[in-house]
Order: sequence, then structure tokens, then C-alpha cells
Amino acid sequence: MPSGLRLMVVKEVKDLLRDPKILVGMIIFPALLLPLMGAAINVATSSTIEKASGNLTVYVVDDDKGPFSEALLSYFIANNVEVKTLLGPPQESAKGLGGGDVLIYIPQGASGNLTSGSRTGMLMFVNFKSFSLVEFIVSGRIDSILSVFEGELVKRTISEGMPGRDAGEVLDPITVEYESIVKGEAFPLSPAVLQSTVKMQTMMGPIVIMLVLILAMQIAATSIAIEKEAKTLETLLTVPVSRLSILFGKLAGSVSVALLATVANVLAFTYYIGAVLGTAGIGAGDLGEAAAKLAPAPEGYLILGLSIFGALISALAIALTLGTLAQDVRGAQSIIGVAILPVFLPAVFLMIGDISTLPSAFQAALYLIPFTYPALASQALFTGDYGMSLFGLAYMALFTLGMLYIAARIFSTERIMTARITLKARRME
Amino acid sequence: MPPVVVLKDLVKEYSKRRAVDGVSLEIGEGEIFGLIGPNGAGKTTTLRMIATIIKPTSGEVVVCGRDAVREASAVRKLISYLPEEAGAYPNLSGKEYLKFMASFYYEREEDAATAVEEGERISGLGDRLKERSSAYSKGMKRRLQLARALMVKPKLAILDEPTSGLDVTHAFHLRRIIKEYAERHGITVLLSSHNMLEVQNLCDRVAFMNEGRVVEIGPPGGLMAKYGVATLEEAFMKVVGFA
Repeated sequence: MPSGLRLMVVKEVKDLLRDPKILVGMIIFPALLLPLMGAAINVATSSTIEKASGNLTVYVVDDDKGPFSEALLSYFIANNVEVKTLLGPPQESAKGLGGGDVLIYIPQGASGNLTSGSRTGMLMFVNFKSFSLVEFIVSGRIDSILSVFEGELVKRTISEGMPGRDAGEVLDPITVEYESIVKGEAFPLSPAVLQSTVKMQTMMGPIVIMLVLILAMQIAATSIAIEKEAKTLETLLTVPVSRLSILFGKLAGSVSVALLATVANVLAFTYYIGAVLGTAGIGAGDLGEAAAKLAPAPEGYLILGLSIFGALISALAIALTLGTLAQDVRGAQSIIGVAILPVFLPAVFLMIGDISTLPSAFQAALYLIPFTYPALASQALFTGDYGMSLFGLAYMALFTLGMLYIAARIFSTERIMTARITLKARRME
Repeated sequence: MPPVVVLKDLVKEYSKRRAVDGVSLEIGEGEIFGLIGPNGAGKTTTLRMIATIIKPTSGEVVVCGRDAVREASAVRKLISYLPEEAGAYPNLSGKEYLKFMASFYYEREEDAATAVEEGERISGLGDRLKERSSAYSKGMKRRLQLARALMVKPKLAILDEPTSGLDVTHAFHLRRIIKEYAERHGITVLLSSHNMLEVQNLCDRVAFMNEGRVVEIGPPGGLMAKYGVATLEEAFMKVVGFA
């Protein structure tokens, strides 16, 4: 590496890492915030589930006092639900209960209705006081027990009316078995299970890539503006170092710090997702043999890595070019605030939908944005379709060269000192 | 002895405004040369063209026989420029800053280290050089910048308002350093200033600039005698027609 460039890179990394705004704001804060959020969600959810999974109590106002109500109350007790019988109007009784408590009212004649083959009605009161998750989970559990009891009741009726027939087969005469074809191979897997796992992973890619690009762009754009604001650029432009060394030194310094920030963010984000998903019980374990087939191939990782690198350099070239036009750090931040829009768009589109289903004009617009290709490459990890990703590598290389050419032109002329653009919003401040 | 700086019909235009309008002058080796003039006279623009930051619209800038436009890289090895509002990197210490800047001028680490030692001596900041420059006062920052500009012993030191905004003590210290350093090392100094008294005491020759043009040039004593006045300030006012 030429000595001028090496000096610039070392200075940039040192200067950026010592900047509290970058060190704290971009590395330490996200690295601590996300795990803390994940841990907080984990603890809150775990304690909620633990509380909701504890011994259940159901309050009952029984005006039936017949075989149906007896069978129902016995069923609750058999399922470890404590039954407390109350007297009086059910609505009034329910109002006096605690948050999340459930009261079931069995009306008079319920047993008679069922015996005569008519439908019977019941009332379920749930007292909401805090609207916490616990209150909803408890009522949901009581509801589930009631559903199972109803199913048992139906089966018994079918067995009595249709001797010799299996009640389960009568109720569910059609069995659907799923075969999901993954990369040309069939696996006994329902689309719902596949979707819950793969979608989570294909969404993660664009989110993380977006994060990296935005961080890198902010660092690069402000690094030039900091030189202008601290009045160091004018001096730097008169020392015996090539303008390209200054440009590439800033580029390399921004990449280094952005990568460091990315590692911190990705580790923190991974912990966060792991903590949240772990609590929710979602994982790849349900995929069975398909998990191996879905596992990305090494060439997929290589293409993804190259795509991210290409997009990173493209983003930095854009940020440096725009950063040269800002008068100060706030100006650079304003400009980058607008410039990161094309970073958001592909990530948002590709997280939600499939690019091929979009109208042609949208597709063309997305393909013109270099930041689309890393997101496509992260999806291609699972689909194995690398065609557009490979095209994207070539496109990003051309785009980056173009942007670097513009940045180098600005750097090699006095425009670096004289160029000015401001956003109207700033004038209104 | 060939001149260190030659300016020939130097013109700089911004949009429709002519900031520098046909400046021609020569500065000899070892000279301390002052550019004097009001705000907007074209002093800083002239210095920036010599320092290779901006290009002339027309005319010629030659430093030690090198064209400042076509051979800008070669000129940058010969000069050292102190802008009016120069700053240091706030997250680097004063010493780290001197080291960083010296490294561009010397390939051998030993030579750069010698320059840094010289810079430390010129700055007179002592142990404060270990602190980040964000903690420095304006006077300390200016001393650091002057040390940075002189430590590499340039053929030509271009100093834009070197004592601007400084109190009497700091300004006196800086002027003394400039004078001593130029004499001891034979460095040519081109400086601009609003402070006529400073220029009168410091410079061998001065050029009065007004509205982008050099309107008078000569030794301070000679100019005062020519216009029959006691100070350079009065001579300037007579030349530009305000007295």
C-alpha cells in the first residue's frame, strides 16, 4: 500500500474510532441495546408464559346442575383446573373477579338441550384489568379445554349414533399430506412450517444488509464533512499526498469502521432474534431432513459476500461523493438522510414480496439500484438461483467505478473546496 | 538567485466575480513577504492558488521553478500552508497530529521523528501535546498549526493571517517564531495580514492589495518614505485613496 494511503487509512480509523458519536452511537450503543432488549423481551415473555402456565382456576355459575355440567366440571378438574362454584347473577360475579379470571355460566336446561339433540348455549366471562398477555393466555387456555371437551362430546354422540364407525374418521374424512419440493427434492413438510422458518431467515438478510449500508454511508459522508468543519481539509489538500490517496483512505477507513460496527450489530441482532425466537419456540428443528437441503451452498455465501462488498463500496462511493458537497456534518447527515432511501426500498420490497411479481417499471427501478442485489443474493442462498446475483455483481462493479470516477473528479479539482449543496429543509431550521 | 515565487498576470474568477485581477509579483529566497489588504481584496485567493488548492482562471504561478497547476504534486513537496482557520483533528493528540503531518514529507521514520521534535519545540506546548487537540485553546491550536507548517522546513511557508484572533502574548510569540525560523533556515515566508503593524515589523517587503489587484509593492520603510507617512497603515490608506 502506498505510504500516503496507509497514513490516511490509519489516521481515519484512529480518528473515527475515537469519535464518541461513532464509537458509542454506532458500535457500543447498538451492541448493548439489542441484547438488552432481547433479554428484556425474553424475561418478560418467559415470566408471562410461566405465570399463564401455572395452575388454572375457573369460576362457574351452574344453573344447569345436570349431567352436562357435571361432566364439564369433572373434565376441568381432570385437566388440573380448579373449579370454584359461585352463586348469583354471573355478570355481577364476574365483575368481582381478578384480572384474567374466567367465569363460565351454564344456563338452566343445558343438559336437556344436549340430550334432545339441540344446541346449548354457555356464557364465558373474562375479566380484563391490565390487558396483559397473561390475561389473554389464561382465557385462551380455558377456551381450548372447552373445545377439546366439545370434541369429546361430539365423538361420543357419533359413536353412539353410528356404532362400528370411528368417530375421528367421520369428523375428518379427508387427510391431506404435504410434500414440499425444495431445490428439486420432495420433503414431507407443510408449506406453513417451511414458510415460518425460511421467511424469517430471508427477512434477516435484507435487514442486516440495510443496517450495514446505512452505517457505512453515514460514516463516509460525515468523514469529509468533519474535515471541512474542523478546517483540516484545506491543509490536507496542500500536503504531498495524492487526492486519490485521501479519497481511498477515507473509503478504506469508513469500510473498516463500518465492518466493525456491522460485526457488533449483527452479533447483537443475532442474540436479540435468538432471544425472541427462543422464547416463541420457533426454530429450524421442524424442518427435519429439508434443513440440510435448505442449508446454503458455499458458492451462495461467496456470492452474497461479494454482493455485500460491492454494495458497500457503491454506497461509500455515493456517500463520499455527496459528502464532498456538504458544508458541515449536519449538512452531510441531511443529504445522507435522503440518499439512504434507495437502500431502504429494495430491503422493504424483498422482505415482503417477490420482485418478479412487481409491475415491470418497479422491477426495472429496483434492478437499477445496486443495493437490490445483496438482498437478492441473500434470498438466493435458499433458492439456489444465482442468475440475477451474478448479473448484479457485474452491474455493481460498473456502478461503483462510475461513482468512484465522479468522486475522484471532485477530489482532484477545487470543487472539493467550493462545491456546495444544501437541502431546503435545513434553511427552515 | 532565482525567485522562489513568481506570479504572472494571475486571475481568478468565481461565476461573474473577479477575486484576483492580474496579480504579478516575485518573491526572493529567504524573504518574508506580506500581502496586505482589506477583506475581499483577494489575499486568501492568491495564497490558495500558490498553495495548489485552487487553479487560476488565467495567468501563471511558479514556485521554485515549478508550475503550480501542471506540477502541483512537486510544488506540494516544497511548500507548507497555514490556512486562516486551520484546525487539527480533535480526536488526535497534538503530537499525533504533528507525526501524521510530518510523515507525508519524509520517507524515513527517523527524519519524520526529527521534524516532530522540531515541531514540539516550535509549538512550545510541552506536555499539553499529549492531550487531544479538542482540549486546546485558540492560541494553542494556532501554535500547533504554525509548528506543523514550519517543522518540515519548507522552501516556502504560506501563512494566511497567522496571528488572526490571538491575544497579544500569543501573537507576539508566533511572530517571533516566524522571524527566527525564517532567518535560521532561510525559509521564504509569504503571509497575509490585516495587522499593518505586524507586517511592518515582520516583513522585508509588502504588497498592498485592493479589489483583487496589487496596487503598491516595496519594503515597509520605503513605502512609508515614498508616501511621507509614519505608518504602513497610513501609506495603504493614501494608496487606495482614502486619505
